[in-house]
Amino acid sequence: MLMRILVAAAGLIALLVLDHLGTLAALPGLVRLGLYLIPYAVIGWDILANAVRNILHGQVFDENFLMAVATLAAFGIGEYPEAVAVMLLYQIGELFQSYAVGKSRKSISDLMDIAPEFANLETEDGLEQADPEDVAVGSIIVIKPGERVPLDGTVLSGESLLDTAALTGESVPRRASAGDDVISGCVNGSGTLRVQTTKVYEDSTVSRILELVENASSKKARVETFITRFARIYTPVVTILAVLLALVPPLVLHQSWSQWIRTACIFLVVSCPCALVISVPLGFFGGIGACSKLGVLVKGSNYLEFLSSLRTLVLDKTGTVTKGEFKVARILPQETDEQTLLELAAHGEAYSTHPIAQSIREAYGRQPELSRLGQTQELSGRGIETTLDGRQLLLGNATLMQERSIPCPVLESMGTVVYCAMDGRYLGAIEIADSLKPGAAEALAAVKAQGVEQTVMLTGDRREAAELVGARLGIDQVHAELLPGDKVAHVERLLAETGERGKLAFVGDGLNDAPVLSRADVGIAMGSLGSDAAIEAADVVIMDDDIGKIASTIAISKKTMRIVRQNIVFALAVKLLIMVLGVVGLANMWLAVFGDVGVSIIAILNSMRTLRMGKRR
Amino acid sequence: MKKKFKMEELDCANCAAKMEELIKKIPGVHDANMNFMTQKLTLDAEDDRFEEILAEAQKCCDKVDKGCRILV
Repeated sequence: MLMRILVAAAGLIALLVLDHLGTLAALPGLVRLGLYLIPYAVIGWDILANAVRNILHGQVFDENFLMAVATLAAFGIGEYPEAVAVMLLYQIGELFQSYAVGKSRKSISDLMDIAPEFANLETEDGLEQADPEDVAVGSIIVIKPGERVPLDGTVLSGESLLDTAALTGESVPRRASAGDDVISGCVNGSGTLRVQTTKVYEDSTVSRILELVENASSKKARVETFITRFARIYTPVVTILAVLLALVPPLVLHQSWSQWIRTACIFLVVSCPCALVISVPLGFFGGIGACSKLGVLVKGSNYLEFLSSLRTLVLDKTGTVTKGEFKVARILPQETDEQTLLELAAHGEAYSTHPIAQSIREAYGRQPELSRLGQTQELSGRGIETTLDGRQLLLGNATLMQERSIPCPVLESMGTVVYCAMDGRYLGAIEIADSLKPGAAEALAAVKAQGVEQTVMLTGDRREAAELVGARLGIDQVHAELLPGDKVAHVERLLAETGERGKLAFVGDGLNDAPVLSRADVGIAMGSLGSDAAIEAADVVIMDDDIGKIASTIAISKKTMRIVRQNIVFALAVKLLIMVLGVVGLANMWLAVFGDVGVSIIAILNSMRTLRMGKRR
Repeated sequence: MKKKFKMEELDCANCAAKMEELIKKIPGVHDANMNFMTQKLTLDAEDDRFEEILAEAQKCCDKVDKGCRILV
């Protein structure tokens, strides 16, 4: 192609020089036409051939046909150099355009370069390199240092650090040793791991993620569908206008044919919608790619569009803004010391399977000596009564203390407070609470800075706990003690309130939020690496549990939309301007070619900017 | 049955959209998606006529852009 362009360009320049020197003027007109047809044929034969073939197939308004008609018409009115030049520029533009598209496609696929190429399968005759697709569940594979984990599995032996950055954007590596699950797509650090696979390649994390991202562009944003529909009517309309322009003024107003045919040619050249048809999806694809670089999967460009006009952000509490781990947060002894209080509580809760009991035992760190315990009784909704070393021990909530007329201070807490009394004397309290994720408050402030008007927290947890969290994070509305069905009702109400002005997103950990995730305009699941259910149910998946990525994702969506809109406005404005200038006789064919391929290239380059967003932090 | 195919020399986004339209109209096709960015065709069609439909789909591509091939 490059060769053809160079030959045709050389030919055209030579002819232009000869024309200028007056050599050609001496020759008969037909010879001059013939000479110009040589570079034209070199550069444009395939366009002409395609145009003819497509007409035979009933595909009339394609760009080959438009270019062929425009250039042939230019020959018809005696503008030989223009005809050749238009074809030449068109081909140069096409070449550059396909280069730019190829380049951006490559950078997108580099982004997605998480697919493992092989698995070291352990067989009777030693290690064998196998295609991950051919490895059966339960096979044993060996992952050497620096290799990519090919399939999901459980570590049998070995120890290493896994780099999950390609999946989660998280730069701190995960430790993996015997018994841990490993996820395909991670890169192994310096140790060798022997892994028993738990999934076939098709169901493994890496292939599901790749599939999601590849299918993302099939869920089209409103702008995209608009552009496709627009392109379908734009070309015929402009072409018909061109025909009218070529015929009506000369026939009705008796004006010069050549002038109006030239105008018609300009219309034909700018009538191709390619700038829009390529650059809009490319922009969205780049935006989705930028998100995945952050470890955020967006399942369709429509969700990117929704996120850019987000007005209401609804959050789940546990696991979303809090860590979801219940731990002893405070030990408040009275008349004793912390260690003794913890020891008493750990013994009292020795038999309980309640999560609160587990966290107390965990904090105690030693095995309770069961021989010291007497008869233990669970008091439902109150706590536990038992004897320790022959003395009566009470562990429970404030109600229990009141009932036994034991005076105690009432503590305000985000979690649960266990009051402890021995032989009727209050000895202190232990607070077990979930803790806020580090940076949660900043993350919500950043979301507000991105134009979100209100944040709402919905939780099944107790009111006091929820309100304390809400106040610390600056959340606008807190609704607590909700059943799953209530959450849906609240989201419905908020959707109605948000209405036409914007979109609503729900953020949850994806475990029991499926109905709400699907009801919201955008359902965002967090901390989902390895959780199939969450990846399935949500529209946007944040692979790790960094809540700060919500704001970054909104920022990317806004920038993507801005770039897409710029392209649409720019391309249409230039084309319209050229058409207007053409009608009043101020535009020529050269300008028209710019209006076609030039605009496409600029729009593609602009779209490629989306790829540079979402740099790893 | 749903299957994914790589495309070769799928050069223009508009053509991809046109091919998708045409392929969707083939009888027996449940859904089709021609992805210009990933250069892939996802074809969801009746099981027993899949091969036939695939050949038909190739014809649709030929109509729009002769150089473009579905790799099987």
